[in-house]
This record gives sequence, C-alpha cells and structure tokens, in this order.
Amino acid sequence: MSEVMIEIDNLSKWFGDFKALSNINETVRKGQTIVLCGPSGSGKSTLLRCINGLEPFQEGDVIVDGTSLTARKTNLNTLRQKIGMVFQRFELYPHMTALENITLAPRKVRNLPRKEADEKAKQLLERVGIPEKAHNYPASLSGGQQQRVAIARALAMEPKAMLFDEPTSALDPEMIKEVLEVMINLAKEGMTMVCVTHEMGFAREVADEIIFMDEGKIVERGSYEEFFNNPQSDRARDFLEHIL
Amino acid sequence: MSFDYQVIVEYLPFLLGGLVVTFKLAGLALAGGISLGMLVGLGRISDKNWIYYPVSAYVNFLRNIPLIIIIFWVYFILPIIVGRNLNPFTSAVIAFIIFEATYFGEIFRAGYQSISKDMVGSAYATGLTYWQVARYVTIPIAFRRMLPSLITQSIITFQDTSLAFVIGLHEFVTRGNIVNNLEYRSIEIYSFVAVVFLVLCYVGSRISLHFETKYRRANVL
Repeated sequence: MSEVMIEIDNLSKWFGDFKALSNINETVRKGQTIVLCGPSGSGKSTLLRCINGLEPFQEGDVIVDGTSLTARKTNLNTLRQKIGMVFQRFELYPHMTALENITLAPRKVRNLPRKEADEKAKQLLERVGIPEKAHNYPASLSGGQQQRVAIARALAMEPKAMLFDEPTSALDPEMIKEVLEVMINLAKEGMTMVCVTHEMGFAREVADEIIFMDEGKIVERGSYEEFFNNPQSDRARDFLEHIL
Repeated sequence: MSFDYQVIVEYLPFLLGGLVVTFKLAGLALAGGISLGMLVGLGRISDKNWIYYPVSAYVNFLRNIPLIIIIFWVYFILPIIVGRNLNPFTSAVIAFIIFEATYFGEIFRAGYQSISKDMVGSAYATGLTYWQVARYVTIPIAFRRMLPSLITQSIITFQDTSLAFVIGLHEFVTRGNIVNNLEYRSIEIYSFVAVVFLVLCYVGSRISLHFETKYRRANVL
C-alpha cells in the first residue's frame, strides 16, 4: 500500500443546528482516485471543502500529507498549495486572461518570475489541450475550455492532490467529454484525486473507490463493480436507478 | 433687466481658479474616499467581530449626519484634538474622505457580496492569502462590477465639494459668490456656475453609461 495522502478522521460539521456531516472517516492513498456520489444535499461538496479548509468543521480532523488542518501551527494558506481544487462553475477570474488566471498564484505565492510562470502556464494549457487560448478572457471561452483552464490553474501550483466539485455538471453534453479526458489522464498519471461527480463512465475507468453519501453520512463504499452490481443499501439502489 | 455676460468674461480667470480648487478637492476626496472605501467594504463583510462592529458603527454614524456638519466638525473640532490649526482646504479634504468613504464602502460591500463564494474559494484554494485575494481578485472584480455606481457617487462627490463654501474655502461656488458680492449679478454668475457643473456632471454620467454598456456587451463580468 502506498503512503496516505489525505486522512479524514471522524469529521463532523454543523451548519447551525443542522448536522451536515457526521463522523466521516476516509483514507485516500497516494495516486488513488476516489469518487464521491450521492443525492444533492448529502454533504459531498461540503466534505470536499472541508478537506482544504475552505469550510470550517467542528469535530474531528483532516490530515493532508502529514499536516493536520486543526493543528494550531498549521498555516492554511501553505497547506492549500498542496491541494488543487476545481469547481462546478469554473470560477475563473473574469478580469484576467487564461494565462493570467494560471500564473497568478505561482507568481504571487511562489514568487516565480513572470517569464518562468508564463512558460509553465503555456505547457499546462498544452496539457489540457487549448494552447491557443492563452490570451483569451474567460467570457470568450466555452464552458469546457473554461473548466480546462481552471484545471490548469489548479495544477500550476504543482499540488499533491486534486479536489473536483462536480466539474462537469454545468457543462453541455458535448463538452463533458473533453473535461473528463483531462481528468482521466491526470488520474492515470498518478495524481491523487477526490471527485464529486455523477459521471459513472469516469468512475468505471479510473475510480479506485466509490463512496456513496446520504444525509451527511457515508452510506456505502466499494469498487465500481461492487457499488454498481451489488449496492447494499436501499438509498444507493434508489440513487443508481435515478442516475442511470 | 438684461443678461450681462461681460461680468463672466471679466472674472473668468478668478472663477476658473476656483474651479481648479474644486477639481483638486474632488480629486483628493475621490482618491482617498475610494481607497478607504475599499477597506471599509472589506470590513463590512468581515467575519471578525472586532473589525465588523467598529467599521459598521463608523459607517452608520457618518451616513446619518449631514455632510455639512462633518465639514464643520473637522474644521472646528479636529484642530482642538490634534493641537494645530488646519487650513480650510486640508480640513475639507479630510471631511470629504471620511464621509465619502462610507458611501464608497457600501458600494464596494455590495460589489464584494456579488462575487460568489466559490470564486473566492477558488482563489484561496491556490494558496493565496486574504490580502492577495482582496488585491488581485475581489477588489478588481468589485471595482469593475460597481463602476457605474462608483462614477455616480463620484459625480455626487464632485457636486458636494461646493459645501466647502461654509468654511470659506475658495472653490468655484465661493468665488462665484465673491464676484456676486462685488458686482450684484447673481443671475448671470450663478447660472454660469450651474451650467459649468451641469456640463461636467453630464459628461461624467455619459462616461458612466459608456462603461456600463461596454461591460454589459462584452459580458466581461
């Protein structure tokens, strides 16, 4: 077994009186791809946001690459450099070109010289298949292209793990494929990934484990085959009937 | 009674000198008010109580007092506090900055709140710090989104500078008044002052409209 990249230890989170996540335990090892699925409101996105500290939680801990999120001496900004994140609605900075979106963090956080950062950004755009869009603003890119720039932006900090929050659910069907291809390549290159997605083709191809959540709890976990062919809970069976 | 343009022509250099003071006052008030407003806006959405409450108290306090009173306060009370006299120009600049910053602050607050939680999250997720996110992401986006409101408030500020009249600052309106006291040509003089303000502010509002349509058409924000 390879080393542990993300350890979620008995994590619970409340929004006021509402318990959004309850006693979540999960271990993600280096190079693994984990797919989180479940009905909306089940806590998948919230869990993802807890992993890089975008969302505070009240109980338990998350340990990323040996660093505890709750430890007093942990600097969240430094820790977040290790984890890239991609959002449902791309969230590119609208006032910056694709290249500027990608180079902002390397230049300001890593103090990389502009030339070097630009060079690296161009390689990343090449990698996600849109080198010709470097100087386009987000408004002039299609959804699929914007999401690929967002992936490049996250990769620019050379993260050890990537979080994907429904990266294809705001896309038109013909654009889903181009984004999934990039994600599949990443997974195959050995990136550690936690993906909230309902793209079961993607799960079948690269997921090491599928986690099914409902009402803030992990209801089921297993390989793609186990989950699909033999779901244990009624909730999972219901859910599969709806998405297939 | 006939319109006598001669009085305007005769005193034009004197009046335009006042307009220069008006521009200087407005320029400094806007630069200071907008800069301070950016921070005030951040304070208004802060989740830290020790920032939120004092900033909100400042905003609510100043917004509920007429500007003319603030101008008097700064001119008459601030010298007592700091222990030295302030000339009318300096005290007017201070009064306008602290007053306008509350209005600009509320515009920026609305701008910041229009930015989605995930947009800010995506910036934090790359490891940027609070101030880096503010400087490179939230402030520039809010600034562009709120540009029409910012220009409108700037036009109001420009007009409000005439209130510095009450502390004897020799700006445009004050000088118009001085000329009137010498020549008793109130209709001509005040009409001239009004037309100058009208033209300048109208141009300003056209610029605002231009940016609004430009951004909307380009769908940049």
